[in-house]
Amino acid sequence: MNEARNALMREGGPAAPLLAVAGIEKSFPGVRALSGVSFEVAPGEVHALLGENGAGKSTLIKIISGVYQPDAGTIHVDGRPLRLDSPDDARRAGIATIYQELLLFRDLTVAENVFMGHAPRGRGGRLDWKAMAAKTEALLATLEIVDLAPSRVVGSLSVGNRQRVEILRALSQDAQLLIMDEPTAALTEYDVTRLFDIVRRLKSRGVGIIYISHRMDEIFQIADRVTVLRDGAQVGTRRVAETSSAELVQMMVGRQIESLFPKVAVAVGAPVLEVRDLVRRPMTRSISLTVRAGEILGLAGLVGSGRSELAQTIFGVTPAESGEILVSGEPVQIRAPGRARALGIAYVPEDRATQGLVRPMNVRENFSLASLARVARFGFIDSAAETRLAETGVTRFRVRAGSLDQVVGRLSGGNQQKIVLGKWLANQPKLLILDEPTRGIDVGAKAEIHRLMCELAAQGLAILMISSELPEVLGMSDRVLVMREGRLVAEFSRAEATPEAVGAAMMGSQGADAGRAA
Amino acid sequence: MAVLAPEVRSAAPRWLIRHETLLAAILLVALVILGLFNERFLTVDNLLNQGRLMTEVGLLALPMTFIIITGGIDLSVGSIVGLCAIMLGYSWKNLGFPLPLAIAFAIGVGGVAGFVNGLLITRIRVPPLIMTIATLALYRGLAEGISQARSVRNYPEWFFFTGQGEWLGVPVQLWILLVGIIVAGIALDRTTFGRTLYAIGNNETAARFSGLPVDRVKLVVYTLSGLAAGLSAWVLVSRVTTTRSDMGSGYELDVIAAVVLGGTSIFGGVGTIWGTVVGLVMIQLLKNGLALTGVKGDATIIVIGAVLIASTLIASSLHGRREVAG
Repeated sequence: MNEARNALMREGGPAAPLLAVAGIEKSFPGVRALSGVSFEVAPGEVHALLGENGAGKSTLIKIISGVYQPDAGTIHVDGRPLRLDSPDDARRAGIATIYQELLLFRDLTVAENVFMGHAPRGRGGRLDWKAMAAKTEALLATLEIVDLAPSRVVGSLSVGNRQRVEILRALSQDAQLLIMDEPTAALTEYDVTRLFDIVRRLKSRGVGIIYISHRMDEIFQIADRVTVLRDGAQVGTRRVAETSSAELVQMMVGRQIESLFPKVAVAVGAPVLEVRDLVRRPMTRSISLTVRAGEILGLAGLVGSGRSELAQTIFGVTPAESGEILVSGEPVQIRAPGRARALGIAYVPEDRATQGLVRPMNVRENFSLASLARVARFGFIDSAAETRLAETGVTRFRVRAGSLDQVVGRLSGGNQQKIVLGKWLANQPKLLILDEPTRGIDVGAKAEIHRLMCELAAQGLAILMISSELPEVLGMSDRVLVMREGRLVAEFSRAEATPEAVGAAMMGSQGADAGRAA
Repeated sequence: MAVLAPEVRSAAPRWLIRHETLLAAILLVALVILGLFNERFLTVDNLLNQGRLMTEVGLLALPMTFIIITGGIDLSVGSIVGLCAIMLGYSWKNLGFPLPLAIAFAIGVGGVAGFVNGLLITRIRVPPLIMTIATLALYRGLAEGISQARSVRNYPEWFFFTGQGEWLGVPVQLWILLVGIIVAGIALDRTTFGRTLYAIGNNETAARFSGLPVDRVKLVVYTLSGLAAGLSAWVLVSRVTTTRSDMGSGYELDVIAAVVLGGTSIFGGVGTIWGTVVGLVMIQLLKNGLALTGVKGDATIIVIGAVLIASTLIASSLHGRREVAG
């Protein structure tokens, strides 16, 4: 089948679409998730799906991968109409999905993960380990991955390598259509480059790819066509070569975004947080820094450089072994997050799902979780006060939720992030630590969060922002610190912080010494 | 911009499809059927007497509901009851404590026993199941060692008031249980303490990252469980007029059965005191009703096991519906 398709492409004839969905409708109680969505993916095409959080992208891919069934509409695979009643049906039709949260078995090897569920069998039904290793080698070879051994345990791999394992797994099942849900969200620049190599290789083999990402530059690098969704409806489909990021952004949000990083200069005040020689092995090694009122201090570094660990040490999740912390000039001991909170420190963690929110609990309960004392008298929760707190937050942060009783786990990523931010701001902190505040968030919500950060800084809040997105660090920060292997290696003023200089300090190449000198 | 759509209502009001309501309905039906079979069953005397018998397990079920909501478990409660009962008799008879002091001492021992559970669970991060299996053996062993297989009798008459007396026509211990139920119910439903329990059970990491006193609250619930065991031991000794080291053995299973039957999820995060109370009453009355109707002991256990499984099935099917409706 693949051969035939490639032949078609070589002849330059109009390849039949690999996947064609038409008129897809889907409603959940109270929410119209999708109305009349139609698009096609040709063999060897990368088709990007773009839209704000809650625009319906996730619902659409869940329908294509058989998790949800549409209320109306048709799905054709290779020109044949198909009902996808389960993920298994989709798999049989050659559709594989690589989700944001990688679904791998940490304690098993690369080969075992790749062939989980369809392992090659020997005589008598025994597993054929040799064949499994050989087939994995062969798959690795087709993608020209040379630095990944089939016998490695997946738990020891980097995020980038785990993702490659997921891709191998999809290919081992002869997937013809690959759905990638924000594949670069947790990747380093280097891993992104390698991922794109693989994607191009798959394209040349005639595999169709549905690519979901919030990063505009990636779409222009890798996609052939892009379909934009807004509020569950299809705004349009464009050839990437014939559109611009300005047009796409406007299609997504339905309005013009004046500037992505609207950082305005504000007067910087007295130090709010001073940290001296803070140590918590292995990832926090003698860190000293100061954050002042009204200042946004950017903390740059590669994934795994110890930035989140530093934040969690300051916040008391993993208390410091030695060193000093001063809040508003007073030396303090922070041995638990509750203490940090009482001192006016807020921490919006990197991992919303496990650290930021109690997802089975509802919007109201999540909003009040970090400020229960504010809505309670003598330990009794005043439900009217709690509801007011949540309503204020929902309005202020423009959270899109069916009601305050809606379970948070069902909201989109951007709305979840707004709730995490809101629950901490309800506590009126003096210092806000933001760990990857806009990861996995669409352009509109991102701009809202950036605008909010500026507003808060202008009100005198001190902000320590951890981000792996260099443009965000450079655009938002008054000052940039760079961490590498648990140490601060460079500091830049806003004027000095060029992408080249900061990038070099992050990677530890020549430029780092220049940065340290500066 | 904030979009707060009107709340979606499913066909049936929410309270009707709640697990506790359904269970209460089943309980009512069972009562009527058992009442039809046996005229001695649905009498005030019998029901009050059953309340008396239910109290010892009931007192334990309240903190157990808290513990299971946090995703933990306490298997040592039965052994703590035994230890406390022994300490009551031993400190009175052998150490010469005045009896009121001996009662307070016994309850205090229960509190310490629970505190030790909590301390090792929160500080050394021993899984609750392992920790309380260990103390299940340990505390029972202590009780046997201290008692030297001798029972303590001849308590003064006033001591039996708690376990055998009546106040306003209702058994004294039932009043104690009633107060416990109300306090526990309000604490779980209305206070920051209760909210913290649910948060821990649903996502302990996020609870910690939100600055909630996770370890302190856990320490409190295990200590409460020990204190309740002390209270339960006092009521039990007063009811049966004697102290033996095997008292309370096997209680942990009755307690957990009542809590889980009442809709508390063994995985944590879900559960109510009202559910536990219904579960408790259901088990006690089924036992009694079946016995009165002439069903033998073994068969009673079978029926209770079947009811437990059936209620779990109903609960999971309801949960499935809620998922869709949510």
